[in-house]
Amino acid sequence: MAPNEIAASFTEGFVEADGFRIRTMQAGRGTPLIHLHGASGLSLTRGHDLLSQHHRVIAFEMPGFGRSPENTRTQTTAEMATTMRAAIRALGIESCNVLGTSFGARVALWMAAQQPELVSALVLEAPAAIRPQGHKLPSGSPEQIARLRYAHPERQPPRPAQDPVAQAQTRALFMRVRGPDRDSDLETAMRRLEVPTLVLFGTHDGLMPPGLGRLYKEKLPNCHLVFVYDAGHAISTERPEAFAEVTLDFLERHEAFVINRTATLIHP
Amino acid sequence: MKISYFETGRYVPPPDLPREWPVPPAAYDPATGAEAFRGMVERVQFVEKLGFDWISVSEHHYSPRILTPSPVVSAAWLAARVPNIKIALLGPIVPTANPIRIAEELAMLDTLSPGRIVVGLLRGTTNEYLSYDLNPSEARERTDEGMELILKAWAEPQPFGWQGRYFQYRTVSIWPRPQQPPAPTYVLGTSAEAGAFAARHHCGLGVSYGNFASMGQATTYYRQQCAQYGWAPGPDDIIYRANMILGETDDAAEHALQRRDEQAPFPVRAGLRDALLQADTTRNIAGEKRPANVGGVLPISFCGGPDRVVEQIRRCRDTIGAGVLDLSLQDPGAGDTDAMMDALDLFGRKVLPRIRDI
Repeated sequence: MAPNEIAASFTEGFVEADGFRIRTMQAGRGTPLIHLHGASGLSLTRGHDLLSQHHRVIAFEMPGFGRSPENTRTQTTAEMATTMRAAIRALGIESCNVLGTSFGARVALWMAAQQPELVSALVLEAPAAIRPQGHKLPSGSPEQIARLRYAHPERQPPRPAQDPVAQAQTRALFMRVRGPDRDSDLETAMRRLEVPTLVLFGTHDGLMPPGLGRLYKEKLPNCHLVFVYDAGHAISTERPEAFAEVTLDFLERHEAFVINRTATLIHP
Repeated sequence: MKISYFETGRYVPPPDLPREWPVPPAAYDPATGAEAFRGMVERVQFVEKLGFDWISVSEHHYSPRILTPSPVVSAAWLAARVPNIKIALLGPIVPTANPIRIAEELAMLDTLSPGRIVVGLLRGTTNEYLSYDLNPSEARERTDEGMELILKAWAEPQPFGWQGRYFQYRTVSIWPRPQQPPAPTYVLGTSAEAGAFAARHHCGLGVSYGNFASMGQATTYYRQQCAQYGWAPGPDDIIYRANMILGETDDAAEHALQRRDEQAPFPVRAGLRDALLQADTTRNIAGEKRPANVGGVLPISFCGGPDRVVEQIRRCRDTIGAGVLDLSLQDPGAGDTDAMMDALDLFGRKVLPRIRDI
């Protein structure tokens, strides 16, 4: 599939919630699956396409990111989670699966902590809810950043240049709401979260060390950690089939997804 | 310089044994097989007394040339019967195996014999893939992924799943774990891929059989890669497996070299050999393309009396940088075990004491 064909089935919409006009990209039918993007904003991948074949996928653009107006109001990840819960409610959804990518995983965990009955299952893709001490945002040339994001940067098209003013505004918002590397309030809440949670780390993640995965296992009572081989931070971009297979299986069966259903019979 | 003896389980074949691979099981003699395995223990005890540092075992299938389809079973048998010498598994063939099984069995060995096990992870030569029906074009990628998974299974303290290209597991959580730190681990191969993988994971590198110059190419590439990952391997991080013909004199060794059987033991048919060569086109030394090895006769890297061999070992060390030499003093599958024991004894008396400082 060519890059410009990715997510062609997704349609743009907007929802008014918590005083914001929030952009959505939606495709598919079935149980709602909310996606919350990472610090670099909403960009649909082949992984979204595959998920939308089985779920009603609603990818939000959180206020202040991407094309949305500057957001100077939101101060914390927890506040962002409150806003996004309002957006889900405004869509008439009472219960949903939530996929959070990187920073979006931090928002997703806060959402589940604030309103456990809202979230039937969580999928955390390369989550940034727990960061190494003194973690710095990636800096350098686009090529250097691509080497941190991807296991195979040479296979990725260059990312489109962003408007520097909008970029600075988003960065200010992100630096404000991202919270400390270790957020003791969030980690205390995680210990009480019974929601089935799948944590995915790429084995070649250069932004969030995959070794952090074990901390989610230690803190979340119902957590499964899966390493996606030969993927960097952008798992759903680099290994969309592998990402979608494990995500869909987990959303369907939760902890029972450890039971293999793949036929190995060769010649009946 | 450390010295290792490559133990192959010497099945002494009757002269009328079929010469083609695979050798029919009907030709196998159980008593000869049992004797071969008893002899393994005797030979390993012998080289331990001579002062060898390691012995090594390997994985080969469907012929008496090397009678050890499972290096793990060989290592366990030897570890229980010989008290001190290190036992190197060079190595399990990763692309044909269940990597979790390898991780578990090696962790078990490491626990049974703490401090004595050395691990080499191997892609294997193309003919080996016939044994377990592996598509040769997938071997490289399966090896890289399998090695990554083995190392992860040893290192991770929490249960995890693995969403690979060739391997998928929802639950990995091995018991026992290996010793901490785990047994010294080497990636076996001369390719750019092997060198880069070893460097990234702080593993050693094991190269085999090629001449000093080409093996030096592979180890130089490996050292360059290690530098990129911020570390420098020492001599113990590089193994060179090679054949040696050692005589009392240079002339005696040259004479033995001339008498050497130049026909590969138990080769596959010519048509199959050619098809295998075509099916596996990714072989390289430090990125320089090379044809695959499909079980041909292996070269002799060292030949001479003790003085000349000591000089050759010195040159090998300078060119390849290997601090561990893994030696065969007779072609596997050759019948004359007594001659090999004599050569080992000579090596222990006349060569070993003179190469320690190299």
